[in-house]
Amino acid sequence: MIEFTINGRKVSLDVAPDTPLLWVIRDEIGLTGTKFGCGVGMCGACTVHVGGHPTRGCITPVQDVAGAEIITIEGLDPNGDHPVQVAWRELQVPQCGYCQSGQIMTAAAMLRDIPNPTDEDIDAVMTGNLCRCMTYNRIRAAVRQAAAAMRGAVTNG
Amino acid sequence: MANDMFPPRRAARLELGRRGFLVSMCAAGAVFGFPRRAQATMNPESPDGLPLDAAGAKYEPTLWYWIDSTGKVNVNIIRAEMGQHVGTSIARILADELGANWDDVHIDHVDSDPKWGTMVTGGSWSVWQSWPVYRQAGAAGRIALAEKAASLWGIDASRITVENGIVSGGGKTASFGELVTQGVTRVFTAAELQALPLKPHADLTLLGKALPALDIRTKTTGQAIYGIDSKVDGMVHAAPILPPTRYGCTVTGIDDSAAKGVKGYQQTLKIDDPSGTVPGWAMVIADSHWAAQKAAKLVKVSYDIKGNAQQIGEADIQAENKRLIDDPKTGALLDTGDTDVDPVFAKATDTIEAEYTTQTVLHFQMEPLNALAFQNQDGIWEIHTGNQWQSLCLPWLQTALGVGAGKVIMRTYLLGGGFGRRLNGDYAVPVALASKALGGKPVKMVMMRPDDVQFDSVRPPTMSRLRMAFDAGKQVIAMDTAVASGWPTKVMVPSFMPKGVNGEHYDPFASDGADHWYDVGAQRARAISNELAEATFRPGWLRSVSPGWINFAVESFMDEAARHVGQDPLQFRLDHFTAQGRNAGAAPNAVGGAARQAAVLKRVAEISGYGERGLPADTAIGIATTYGQARSMPTWVGGAVQVHVDRTTGHVDVQKVWLVVDCGTVVDPDGARAQVEGGAMWGVSMALYEGTQFKGGRVIDSNLDTYTPMRMVDAPEMTIEMVESTEAPTGLGEPGTTVMAPALANAIFAAVGVRMRHLPMTPQAILDALKATPA
Amino acid sequence: MLKSTLSALAAAAVIVIGGFGIYAWHSSLPAMSPAERPSFDAATVEQGRLIAAAGYCAACHTAPGGAPYAGNYPMVTSFGTIYASNITPDPETGIGEWSPEAFRRAMHEGVDREGRNLFPAFPYDHFTKMSDADVDAVYAYIMTDIPPVKEITKQPSIPFPLNIRFLQSGWKLLFVHFGRYEPDPSQSAAWNRGAYLVEGVAHCGACHTPRNALGAEEKSKQYAGAVVDNWTAPPLANANPSAVPWSAAEFTAYLKAGSDPYHGVASGPMAEVVAGFRQLPDSDIAAIGTYLGSASGATGSNPAQIPAVVASINAGKPDPAYRQNPGEQLYASACASCHYNASPDSLEPERPDLGIISATRLDDPSNLIHTILDGVPASQGVHGVTMPAFRTALDNSQIAAIAAYLRTTQAGLPPWQNLEASVQSVRERAGTN
Repeated sequence: MIEFTINGRKVSLDVAPDTPLLWVIRDEIGLTGTKFGCGVGMCGACTVHVGGHPTRGCITPVQDVAGAEIITIEGLDPNGDHPVQVAWRELQVPQCGYCQSGQIMTAAAMLRDIPNPTDEDIDAVMTGNLCRCMTYNRIRAAVRQAAAAMRGAVTNG
Repeated sequence: MANDMFPPRRAARLELGRRGFLVSMCAAGAVFGFPRRAQATMNPESPDGLPLDAAGAKYEPTLWYWIDSTGKVNVNIIRAEMGQHVGTSIARILADELGANWDDVHIDHVDSDPKWGTMVTGGSWSVWQSWPVYRQAGAAGRIALAEKAASLWGIDASRITVENGIVSGGGKTASFGELVTQGVTRVFTAAELQALPLKPHADLTLLGKALPALDIRTKTTGQAIYGIDSKVDGMVHAAPILPPTRYGCTVTGIDDSAAKGVKGYQQTLKIDDPSGTVPGWAMVIADSHWAAQKAAKLVKVSYDIKGNAQQIGEADIQAENKRLIDDPKTGALLDTGDTDVDPVFAKATDTIEAEYTTQTVLHFQMEPLNALAFQNQDGIWEIHTGNQWQSLCLPWLQTALGVGAGKVIMRTYLLGGGFGRRLNGDYAVPVALASKALGGKPVKMVMMRPDDVQFDSVRPPTMSRLRMAFDAGKQVIAMDTAVASGWPTKVMVPSFMPKGVNGEHYDPFASDGADHWYDVGAQRARAISNELAEATFRPGWLRSVSPGWINFAVESFMDEAARHVGQDPLQFRLDHFTAQGRNAGAAPNAVGGAARQAAVLKRVAEISGYGERGLPADTAIGIATTYGQARSMPTWVGGAVQVHVDRTTGHVDVQKVWLVVDCGTVVDPDGARAQVEGGAMWGVSMALYEGTQFKGGRVIDSNLDTYTPMRMVDAPEMTIEMVESTEAPTGLGEPGTTVMAPALANAIFAAVGVRMRHLPMTPQAILDALKATPA
Repeated sequence: MLKSTLSALAAAAVIVIGGFGIYAWHSSLPAMSPAERPSFDAATVEQGRLIAAAGYCAACHTAPGGAPYAGNYPMVTSFGTIYASNITPDPETGIGEWSPEAFRRAMHEGVDREGRNLFPAFPYDHFTKMSDADVDAVYAYIMTDIPPVKEITKQPSIPFPLNIRFLQSGWKLLFVHFGRYEPDPSQSAAWNRGAYLVEGVAHCGACHTPRNALGAEEKSKQYAGAVVDNWTAPPLANANPSAVPWSAAEFTAYLKAGSDPYHGVASGPMAEVVAGFRQLPDSDIAAIGTYLGSASGATGSNPAQIPAVVASINAGKPDPAYRQNPGEQLYASACASCHYNASPDSLEPERPDLGIISATRLDDPSNLIHTILDGVPASQGVHGVTMPAFRTALDNSQIAAIAAYLRTTQAGLPPWQNLEASVQSVRERAGTN
């Protein structure tokens, strides 16, 4: 049995230890907000937080997160009002939206580590998250806006 | 509550969540006592996708919406939501004409049903096609409510105003809800709808207003439901084993002995497909997706392979394109007016010719192909998946399953990217057949990315050959265009192919772009189907279809032609936008014709600073202009791009992009800009960063390790101007794509003097061209 | 003359061999039943638990998935495979019949209860330095807190004649200096405590000091680094190629947390060491840091000003031409989102900068390859944080490309040779985490 905490609740699962965390989250636990895009850790759609840090679940064997604390997009904020999510809505970032759970999770974690990112910093971190609708310019702007909100600054947008 | 993110563990799970829950409850015969409902829609606003219920009395002016006793206006949308926020745009059109309060407006994306007519989302058609229909629908409601109020208040209907959800006149007011509660019964015939007076443009207040799209919130909270998220109690999971070639394979043996050791593995099915959509498939069935994938790697399938697809590579397909173009007898002739170009070329003082090619391009939509299929307790086959053309694949599914019309229903989900891949619903067929093989049990297939790529309906390798004839005064007197590629429409919807002026059918999605709006004297446009391509793989419709690659040719060629006769490429183009004759345009969709194209081109040259001096070395601006997707519904686009080319590495730094777009009326300004920007990024990506190749009948790339679409660090700064207009709205999903490749090619030429005639324009190709070009 | 010389030589040989025989022979100590065993107070048992943690005994004496201390963990050496003994208090298959004296003899002299030499895979050459009281405390802990488990220890696969335990005495004669730790009066108490732990129970040299052809630590190359279990145990002394020098403070931080922003995380075989050290009081970890810091000779410095650190951060900035280097393209897509740091002043331990950490700067790429292949589970490295595993996501040429990119562009060091072959070699050895 593999045990860990997800969005604040303990789970205990009888799954093959090499099952990727992504499929455990989606199929066993039933949280489908985290998406599958490539299966090789290169698109970021499967990004969740493990111990608060962005982790690509499609290539993380579930046994590796035994005892860890996982947050998915559903658990990022109880009302969906994390400053990143708010900025995403204010700037109407998502198009098809499929990559956006991963984008938001990556951005939220980044802003904790790099609270005042330059465009270069944003590009470096977020380039690993593919968006086929290519809303990149809006994502970048929304990250800046969320960063400002999290720093308590007044933004001119 | 809506955000209770933690459903119980699988073993004890009663709650299935979302649509699957209700579907299974219905299928199980209301086990928990829920009322049986025709759950035939998906509401992207609500966390579980469930549609709103009408409260109390309900009035349906047309089948496109209802108004309930609380004043809620619920609009039915037949279009697939794939990022264009199409439901919001269409609902806005209706609400504006109706006079509703936007806060009361909601949308439902409907499941397939004959009553909705053709269900298709593509071609950049949705807003353009919906504009008259939903305006009429809105007008119907407005008139019915006004008449109701008039009769209640004893005044003439002409004294009633309907605005913002309130009906008023003669000193009295009533909300929509109050009137509906009183009972509104007015019905409208189709003829009456067509004849309804519509509001003058100036009275439309929602148009052009900044309104948040109704599907966005759930896309920021993980609650949006895509096909890949579908679930039904008791479903098994399927992993496909694809045959070595798209066509010609028959399964001769299946050895699953090694797979039997995988926990959860059940069996491997040989899929026999009466519709011929998916020959040679096998499906591995297991308790879980992961077990199915693990087992699939261990199953050995043997095939009998007919045809020689395994010997076909990219070069073979291009060689066939060339052979077809070389043969003057092939192809359909588009109606381009005076098509008799041969005698003009024969006596021309000077001619130029150039050939442009493009490599195979993948859709690579973020949500890999998937479907869930089962037979419900009414005997109806349910297909749960995101899809762009239900009307197209329903007959395939019926044939595959051996059932008649009305026996298959496609349940609607959000699409994690369409881009044209999901116009071709072939991926649903094997899942339906697997379910049938298991007695109608729910089967869910999620493709892993390499399978999705291998099964893609790619943009095929293309070739365009353009020629221009000049007289002694260097005036253009004729232009001859021949384009060759695999034709998606011929393969999948041959009835959709119109006839050319020489009696041959043509695929508009493989020839649009060739019949441009320049006045070039005699003009011939020949579109040729590459049957070798069509036999090797299934060509697809990919964002911007032929305008994407034909305009690479046409707009590069216009630059080349201009320079050939010593003219400035901008002025040369403007000079040929005479807007005369067939290029004058016509109502309702092409009012102004080439004059509007000239206007956007001029404007983009202005705002980009094209032609001004002062850029650093190896840096230049290139321009291009197109008419979007089709002459019948043109979207006028002017594009400019500034690049710097690194002569030692061949790297093209895309520094800035400018776009000026005239799509007529802009319904949703924010969404419009988003679509233009996304489309333009696609254009840059396909021009510089994307391109795979066929080898042995399959594409050589399988995932993001070697297929490298645009990422954030690649994304250029973009300035987008939408032309203010009250003309009929045309499309926006694709037009932005069409100008980028030629604008880039033209910029690269201006920057470092090499003319790139093949996409993608890779750094290596640029270096090779620099080496081959004398300084 | 010759005859008398020969007989003298023969006599000398007999005396030497006989002397060696006398030297090499050990008596069998009597068995002691549990009833006869002395009793132990709680404080002694606890002390033993901590010392056992400092020596991470369970790491070698527990088979993967096996009961704690029940042995049969395979140690693959160049001489063959040796299986760790069952040291649970089981009377038949473990050390349940061992007296404290027998246990002490094993730890200090490398001889079991029946008088046989233990293979030096058991690092008695280090444990000989432990005080009697500490060894007795470990005995108390094992006998009291570890459940007895019946598990027969497998025979080693060491070929003749190396497997003759009698001849181990010759090895001991040549290579081991037996005896308790002797404090150095010129050094501080903390230094001596650190030395006592490091040289004794923690037996760091057993992995971090290279061994000669007969498998003994090369004293002249103490802490110069060695290959262990297909990983590299990096040099601990000033041969360490880290961009940021290992000062006492660095050692202390790393051993306590299992990670360090400037050196990377303790994963693979080092994870168990850190798991053990985590039990120790802070003063002991600091003492170890003090001792090792003096061996490396590094002083504290501001890492943000070290040129290699600055260069690595700069090299990690986004590069629009990333597609032109396959390794860089893969890195930007798969790695940068977690490994990027914005500035040398703000390096996060959970975002190991890949140009600075040990794994990229050692001559041997094995550690980096291991980590790319199999990631870092939440139980290792930064506790609760995990790195995914690229074993099935990337092939050998792709991992080699990423490693080559990190080595040359971010670390700025001469390229590794034969990377693809190295990746294949590490890939083949499954599950060495």
